[in-house]
Amino acid sequence: MTVLLEVDGVTKRFGGLTAVKSASFTLQKGELTGILGPNGAGKTTLFNILTGFMAPTTGSIAFNGEPLRQLAPYKIVNRGMARTFQLTRPFVGMNLLENVLVACLSPRAHGDKDKEERARHLLDQVGLGGRGSEPVETLPYGDLRRLEIARALATRPDLLLLDEPFAGLGSSEIEPLAQLIRRLHREENLTILLIEHKLREFMALVSRVIAMNFGEIIAVGPPDEIVRNPKVIEAYIGKTEADHASA
Amino acid sequence: MRSISGIDIAGGIVVITILALAPMLAASNYLTGVLTVCAIYGIWASSWDFMSGLTGRENFGHSLFIGAGAYTAGFLATIWSTNPWLSLPMAVGIAIAFSLLVGFPTLRLRGPYFALAMLSASAILQRLCLIFWEYTGGEEGLYGLDPLIKNPLHYYWFVLGVLAITVVILTLLAQSHWGLLLRAIRGDEATCQAAGINVTFYKIASLMISAGFAGLGGALYAHYQLQVSPPLFSVVVSITVIIMVYVGGIGSIYGAAIAAILLTLLTEMLRGFGEYRLWIYTLTLMLILFFLPNGLIAPLWRRLTERLR
Repeated sequence: MTVLLEVDGVTKRFGGLTAVKSASFTLQKGELTGILGPNGAGKTTLFNILTGFMAPTTGSIAFNGEPLRQLAPYKIVNRGMARTFQLTRPFVGMNLLENVLVACLSPRAHGDKDKEERARHLLDQVGLGGRGSEPVETLPYGDLRRLEIARALATRPDLLLLDEPFAGLGSSEIEPLAQLIRRLHREENLTILLIEHKLREFMALVSRVIAMNFGEIIAVGPPDEIVRNPKVIEAYIGKTEADHASA
Repeated sequence: MRSISGIDIAGGIVVITILALAPMLAASNYLTGVLTVCAIYGIWASSWDFMSGLTGRENFGHSLFIGAGAYTAGFLATIWSTNPWLSLPMAVGIAIAFSLLVGFPTLRLRGPYFALAMLSASAILQRLCLIFWEYTGGEEGLYGLDPLIKNPLHYYWFVLGVLAITVVILTLLAQSHWGLLLRAIRGDEATCQAAGINVTFYKIASLMISAGFAGLGGALYAHYQLQVSPPLFSVVVSITVIIMVYVGGIGSIYGAAIAAILLTLLTEMLRGFGEYRLWIYTLTLMLILFFLPNGLIAPLWRRLTERLR
């Protein structure tokens, strides 16, 4: 296995607050990994640093063996790292096809003769096939998440970062979306890193978990080990109720 | 954005034909002159709309490019006495140079910096014209430009042709993948970045295109007035252009051009009202913008032609 992403001692301070504290981890090519942590643990900040939307205070990131420091977000995308947003941010006033088409016009996506055709194919792939002409404003939340994934896939990523893809979804929407993520991982041979703060759906999906709390990585390991890790239990449930956690 | 259909092309041809034949009605050089200014404002408004209407980055100093183009024509005619036709490509080039000067540092940033920088740059150029009066003629400006075409009617037709070509080029660009990216920038810059798009590049490139056409219009104006003066750089010119775009329907390009023609005609027709002219003009604008926040021309055309598409 080859290393795709190497995060080394990344720290982000906002004034007196340390949002991410000396985070180090690596991702192997082809892994499906999750970052777990309660709200405010620094997960999204870490994502923003990886994708160039924020600069780390200290620390370094290497992607595909090359350092990423000081690169603009769009340049990082064109090196093969794409992301979705926790609060979906579609282009309003455009239909679904146009939303994906924008990403099909990025330098890394180039090479297709018919960009509309590729955008249609991507909508198919995420389960929004045949709905290209619908306006984005009336789209339910679950479909917006799929649209974000289609837009990220359009840039032909090696690594796909999903920021809380299940947040705000109803239980009937969660399993189909998890299936889509599994399928992309398997069929497209995508390396995927996703953030989640709820344990349940997430545990059946990922093969490795990076657990964070108060900006620090507190545990790394397979999901069944992580749920039994005392530090993780403490972060989630608190010390006094730790006994109930095993139930 | 909806694609162009047959009815749009037909509408465009009818409007241009009417405008081309309009001077025949009165057979007066006065009307021809007013229509020439109308068409020039059309070039200014549609070029503003291309950059600011599509990307949503408001340019409060379009007069910078207009004045730069006009003064380029002025300098070429009075100091170097070159072939007057040379002033058109030169005006385009100088206006684009100014767009890089302001756009390069400020369009990388989000927030109001670009709008403010454009506003101040145009104000600074207006002051510089007065400070370096030995070269610019100060308040009086530069006189004695040669007309490009002696016959006023032929010159009007030429300017109208330039307006038509401007609107066609900018509309085709706005309908292309390029235009899609500009509208995406208006939507959300962070999402554009996440889609791998170099936002700054597209903003600067669209400002260069916008500036080029504005500068061309400035030179055409200079060769119509046969004179250039500092008010060309004024805020009033910039604001007038922006109002025209809003009345036309922002982002539509053709709407901006038609609104520019109608509003310029309106100011002329109201001359009879003397000092009440500005009152009536301003009141009309306020009513339009209050009751029709999406503008008048483009939404009206869409409604009229809805069934014919």
